Amino acid sequence: MLTVYRQLLRLYPAAHRQQFGEEMLAVFVDVRADIEKKKFFAQTTFVVREILGLIAGACGEHMRCMLGPDSGFPLSTRSFAMRNGFRFPKTTAVLMILILCGVVIAIKRGEDIAMSLSHVNPSIVPIQPAHSTMLTGLAFFSIFFYSAGLLGWAILFALRRSGVHRLAQMSGEQK
Amino acid sequence: MALYDMSRKAMTSDLPLTEPVLLILLSLAGQPQHGYAILKDVERMSDGRVVLSTGTLYGAIRRLLDDDWIERFDEKDASRGRQAYRLTPQGRRNLQLEIDRMKQITRLASLRAALKER
Repeated sequence: MLTVYRQLLRLYPAAHRQQFGEEMLAVFVDVRADIEKKKFFAQTTFVVREILGLIAGACGEHMRCMLGPDSGFPLSTRSFAMRNGFRFPKTTAVLMILILCGVVIAIKRGEDIAMSLSHVNPSIVPIQPAHSTMLTGLAFFSIFFYSAGLLGWAILFALRRSGVHRLAQMSGEQK
Repeated sequence: MALYDMSRKAMTSDLPLTEPVLLILLSLAGQPQHGYAILKDVERMSDGRVVLSTGTLYGAIRRLLDDDWIERFDEKDASRGRQAYRLTPQGRRNLQLEIDRMKQITRLASLRAALKER
């Protein structure tokens, strides 16, 4: 689990990782030591919560890096950001499309330059087209996040069906 | 007076706080705490209702540091990876504003509820 946690920490921007990575890992180790004494159900909930927390946190930090310190992340505004009046700016979609266009144009230009240079200097190897790897990467990430979401939903559904939340309510009423 | 109002408006623009952020600030109100202690304190204060992941906690901590509501606190016997945090005067002021706001709402709610019962 520690290895998975370290890998997921890599999703964060380098600056955040440098500032908090070691601390997060230390806290995770402490919490995990507590959870190991508990039952399987508590351990599973802990693992899912940590994975989803890291993914959401990393996405939030990347959004902050791209859109500035006053921006938020849609997930964060509901539960753990300070500004719950935040609305996702509509201009973001336009900006993202512009960035995508820029990346595609840059790739095309890179290919052209590589092709022209290969004739002049044979020692320069032509740059491999990035389209195929980019599309595969996008597909991989989509499947990964979709699976993570599906898993989270399934666990929540199972929790609800098991009636654990009703037990918690009952114990609260008894108090 | 105008200056006070402006600063107060600037401070209250971050209010109301979400429950996890409020609990984190309350956890730091008594004494400086490190990440693990904050997580446990938040869980204890909310009777297990709010359980933060490390990703969530450090997202909030980063934001509170950026906004100068909390600051790093160097402990003498701090071990590796155990950084403590404490409230800044601004953070304490904002926490007090939030508590006042909640008190006012609670008082109003009690009054209204009492009126309806009559």
